[in-house]
Amino acid sequence: MTTCDYRESGDLEAYFYGERPPAERHRLDTHLRGCAGCRAALEELAAIGDALETMPVVAAPEGANWSGFMERLDARLAADAVPGRRGGGRVSAAALLALAATLTLTTLGVMLAMQATHRADAPAAAAAQTAVPAPPSFEAADTAAFQAVTEEHFERSKLVVLGLAAKDPARAGAADWGYERELAARMLTDTRMYRMAAEDRGLGSIASVMRDLELVLLQASFTDDRDPASLPRIQRLIRRRDLVAKMDAVSLSGL
Amino acid sequence: MSSSEPALVSRAAAGDAAAFQGLVERHRSMVYRLAYRFAGNHYDAEDIAQDVFIKVYRSLDRFRHDSQLSSWLYRIVMNACIDHRRRHVSAGVRPFGAEAERRMHDTPAATPGPETRTYAGELGGMLTAEIGRLPPGQRTVFLMRHEEGMKLGEIATALGLAEGTVKRQLHAAVHRLRRALNAAKVTAGERV
Repeated sequence: MTTCDYRESGDLEAYFYGERPPAERHRLDTHLRGCAGCRAALEELAAIGDALETMPVVAAPEGANWSGFMERLDARLAADAVPGRRGGGRVSAAALLALAATLTLTTLGVMLAMQATHRADAPAAAAAQTAVPAPPSFEAADTAAFQAVTEEHFERSKLVVLGLAAKDPARAGAADWGYERELAARMLTDTRMYRMAAEDRGLGSIASVMRDLELVLLQASFTDDRDPASLPRIQRLIRRRDLVAKMDAVSLSGL
Repeated sequence: MSSSEPALVSRAAAGDAAAFQGLVERHRSMVYRLAYRFAGNHYDAEDIAQDVFIKVYRSLDRFRHDSQLSSWLYRIVMNACIDHRRRHVSAGVRPFGAEAERRMHDTPAATPGPETRTYAGELGGMLTAEIGRLPPGQRTVFLMRHEEGMKLGEIATALGLAEGTVKRQLHAAVHRLRRALNAAKVTAGERV
């Protein structure tokens, strides 16, 4: 059985789920009459659906008893009381900053731990050992301090972004950029928090660059590294957004 | 007092605990269902669902009313699922599998023995396990498309991804499940 474009492109799944426009659906109907491989693939998709339908749907804790769940949620919410929420609605940037700083330290810890277990020769690995100043205290979280921690975050992110941008797509196999993908995935939450904190403080330039960085990290962590088109796509995104230059500009201008 | 969803969101964002509880009660089944599908056991599903509502609580005031709350929630659930998995992997914790949970609760009545399972049921169990082994991105997209019936465009919007990326993730997930299905068929054929 040979393969064909419909099966390789993901169009067959889209057809199966009824997500092709009528003209394309008609074209695929015609194709199916002559393609045993695609017909078999469709039958397998239906079989997967049938088999999964036999599995019970679990939409509640055991015994459908929500009381324990709600009690534990209440306790966590009480312990997690967010400054600003009770009094007026918006989460303060300082609270986000404190959370982001915690996440940064967590990420740094993870990065250092990963260094011990991942490729010792990774170019990013040595740079990741750079000492990071302690994050500013909650009380001292003013705009300057926020800019300082975001600058640190940009510096660390550059390791990932430059690592991705510098790879040769013609030679890079999935394993060659797996390390950057892992780091991207781990930095994503921090980046999101910094972006929200920047928006909250009205720091549009930082928020904008964080948004671009978030997009690159999201793409890097989500894409299939065995797909040879993935890396060039991310590299195009980095170039199109001019991300490295923007991170440098924000760091230099302090805005 | 109005209990429409936008009103509940506004009141909850302003610190009204009862309104927040109302939102939790409205959406907890959907959140739990997705979390259980992702994690495969109650222990982790509750952990994920709790994380989701904590995140919702923290960020309700940033919810934009021009989008669906359910789409926004899907995104939070899926991020929470992925974060949960990453935490476990990075901490070296072995996932608390459904099998382990079944053994712990020792509930044989709820678990039919192999002789009473239908072939479809066996396949369903095998595929569920295979879904649990999919990379988080693929698993997320597959669950949202197949289990939740969301369109590719809706998934892309909810996850903040390009539709092409969603399509490729779905394709990769289905490709892997089809391979597992064929392997199971071969095994079943050999047994007969």
